[in-house]
Amino acid sequence: MIGKEDALKVLEKVVSFAKGFELEASLSVEDLSLTRFYGNHIHQNLRRQDHILTVRAVKSRKAGVSQVNLLDDGSLRWAVSSALENAELAGEESDFRGLPKPRPLAEISSYVPATAGMKPADRASACGVVISLAKSKGLEAAGSFATGTHEIAVASTAGVRAYHGSTEGFFRTIVQSGANTGYADRLTRDVREIDFDQVAREATDKATLYPSAKDLPPGRYDTIFLEYALADLVRFLGLYSFGAEAKQQGRSFMADKMGRKVMGDNITIWDDGLDVRGLDVPFDLEGMPKKKVVFIDKGVASGVVYDTRTAVKDGVETTGHAGGQMRGYYGLVPSNMFMAEGHESLEEMIASTKKGLLVTRFHYTHCPDPSNVVATGTTRDGTFLIEDGHLVARVKNLRFTESMVEAFGRVESISKSSRLTRDWWSTFSSVLPAVKIKDFTFTGATAF
Amino acid sequence: MIIELDRVLGLAQKLGAEYADARYVTLTQAPVSASTDSAPRASSQKSTGLGLRVLVDGAWGFSATPYLDPRSIERMADEAVRIAEASARHKRGDGVSLSPLPPIRAKRHTPHKIDPLQVKTEDKVGLLSDVLDRAKKMPGVARASTSLMSYREEKQFMSTDGRQIEQTSIHTGASVSVMARGAGDVQSRSFSDFKDASFWAAALLKAPTCPRGVTDLVMGGEMVALQIHESCGHPVELDRVLGQEATFAGTSFLTPDKKGNYRYGSDSVNMVADATVPGGLGSFGFDDEGIKAQRTDLVVEGVFTDYLTSRELAPRFGQESNGTMRAVGWQNIPLVRMTNINLEPGDWTLDEIIKDTKEGVFVNNPKSWSLDDKRWNFHFGQEIAYEIKDGSLGRMLKNSAHTGITPEFWGSCDAVSGKGKDEWHIWGTPGCAKGEPVQVIHVGHGAAPARFRKVRVGVG
Repeated sequence: MIGKEDALKVLEKVVSFAKGFELEASLSVEDLSLTRFYGNHIHQNLRRQDHILTVRAVKSRKAGVSQVNLLDDGSLRWAVSSALENAELAGEESDFRGLPKPRPLAEISSYVPATAGMKPADRASACGVVISLAKSKGLEAAGSFATGTHEIAVASTAGVRAYHGSTEGFFRTIVQSGANTGYADRLTRDVREIDFDQVAREATDKATLYPSAKDLPPGRYDTIFLEYALADLVRFLGLYSFGAEAKQQGRSFMADKMGRKVMGDNITIWDDGLDVRGLDVPFDLEGMPKKKVVFIDKGVASGVVYDTRTAVKDGVETTGHAGGQMRGYYGLVPSNMFMAEGHESLEEMIASTKKGLLVTRFHYTHCPDPSNVVATGTTRDGTFLIEDGHLVARVKNLRFTESMVEAFGRVESISKSSRLTRDWWSTFSSVLPAVKIKDFTFTGATAF
Repeated sequence: MIIELDRVLGLAQKLGAEYADARYVTLTQAPVSASTDSAPRASSQKSTGLGLRVLVDGAWGFSATPYLDPRSIERMADEAVRIAEASARHKRGDGVSLSPLPPIRAKRHTPHKIDPLQVKTEDKVGLLSDVLDRAKKMPGVARASTSLMSYREEKQFMSTDGRQIEQTSIHTGASVSVMARGAGDVQSRSFSDFKDASFWAAALLKAPTCPRGVTDLVMGGEMVALQIHESCGHPVELDRVLGQEATFAGTSFLTPDKKGNYRYGSDSVNMVADATVPGGLGSFGFDDEGIKAQRTDLVVEGVFTDYLTSRELAPRFGQESNGTMRAVGWQNIPLVRMTNINLEPGDWTLDEIIKDTKEGVFVNNPKSWSLDDKRWNFHFGQEIAYEIKDGSLGRMLKNSAHTGITPEFWGSCDAVSGKGKDEWHIWGTPGCAKGEPVQVIHVGHGAAPARFRKVRVGVG
């Protein structure tokens, strides 16, 4: 941690170099430690510290960008002069209305000293909990434990000054029993909330439940998706549908359907950077406050996330979702997604299933048809057959191919609890329940 | 800096490291991008720092910092050793042992005609602006975007076994993507001639959807390159095979018992890992363990023969590393990574393959890719397809996809082109992701159009 004072001191200096043009600077400071294990031993273990200073210089509506990781005076001056040079060569941005003025920001405490203070030996001990349980049962455990701090600060010639420091811990494991695997993870600001024994038992129990996996033909099955799995289904809505650019360019399935029913009545999905159940952060990379944005309100297409530039196009205010200055393929995306809970427990969802599947999570999902949010991927780490309200067998992994828009129109039940979870790629950290979707389409099968 | 790396290694040894290597890296990048809805924008990017990897009591530790003052470096060395000591609490058997290497001093710079970072930014902006100006005039174009990357990595490596290597890697690449929009439909074309891309994106809106079924599949070179990447390149990474990537990237169906005897593909399938081929994004002089770049047979006449390996893992199979341990930047540990994973050219031309195909589908330009965690079951979607009837290309088809099982798929390959001019080409794949924290690295794939019999198409 370099702290609020030092972070803003760096940015004040950068801003002071701006003479005769507008400038916005953001400083991202990372201190990440990560321990990985497989085959019941630690094989990778690291700490890395870095900063990224991003400068946006704007002159005569032309913007240029630079990034540098060293914070000495020479590097800061280089960053400003490079950004200005790039601005002078850029095209004019017709939607630019000046850098945004400062707005009140919520005070959020996302920093937990216990997480920041984790030592290599602490992480090794935590990994050792899973390793010991796996060894005692003749199984093999793999996994990782990442802990660290992240600071973000923003300052501009328009007067923005913002700083936020946070901690994060992410522990996950896959336990292998013969050809079968089981998975569990926990994501939190506070590592003291992680019950490592519980995580180890969850993955171990799942790996050892019904040792003999049976083949199941592809087809349509009523399917319960645990929170881990739902994260991958929601991921594609976030990537391809819930951003302003996707809507403005007509790529989003919601582009021409705002205010219309697009999913089931029981589906409400929103973004809220201020909700402490998620990885809360009070502002975006323009220093603008995070606003709650409802994407799907009881099945109705309701909104998308904006930064200041895209907000101008639609005549609205930014929602505080500005990302990096070199826009990527996806454009703006949500940062803290939530899905409304239902009324059933997971046990009740299983009990009410005549014949169906329970999916723990997915691997390498992708989206062959983004405009209709058709996604595909394979199940992993515990896929089970449900018959007459009970888990009755492990099944070999299956490939699904299905439109998420259509699938979210067939959600039969939603669990009454939700949790902070990530998709397989860790694109998003979202707070999600488990769901049951009727007639979910599986199009292929694996051999394990 | 070589002298200072020497000091870093000395510090690590003094603190108890039995082996250490240090990398001092400066990465300079200059992306330029533009689209029809946002003005051209250029960025200048620099990242500099030092990474130190140590082996203590047979276990690994790594620390990286951008702070290069003596006190920070001392702290980093101490931390790397403490991390390794923590790893040793749960180490594998007797711990890591590395095969011995003789000392070496070497320098290597990417051969190039023009350093892309020396090209004026205004010329790059002008080039992209010209592309977009033309895009705006094309009928049916809803949006076009384009980008250009210039990349230079300057790296100094030193290890306690006397390897001292300086390398400069220079890469560049560009992309163009055009989107057309119709009623409830969006189609895109990319990585192609710009004028063609605009035309075909609009034309795709009117094209029928690729029908479902089992038919012969002819893939263009770019599609073959991605199929190689996902279904051969990743499965032959030995760290993945052994389970080191289980929690994120997955494992592999190519288990050690299959090495040298497993029928991965047909006799037409020959694949190599070649880090020496000129112009490949996966070419270099030495890997990040100081091992010289090599060419390794992976699949010979359809039989799986070898893995991509490291100094730690190769000795477990009685081998020496074939030099594929690579790290992104200074702040990451080296991992077993692809180099240029190439399908050797065959003795067909694409034209001959099409003429020889009675009924099938020609697909190209990947749009989506998905594989299970052992790389066994796959699904790829493409931007464009054509039906093949009686030896000729027929109607254009949209939303094509094919799915299958890796060894069955490569086993059905009965024709690989490469005889025709420029048909075999080294494609750049700059976005290969692996590891925790994830590292996105540049790799290459030599590929040419090829035919696969009885493949399931039109799924999704």
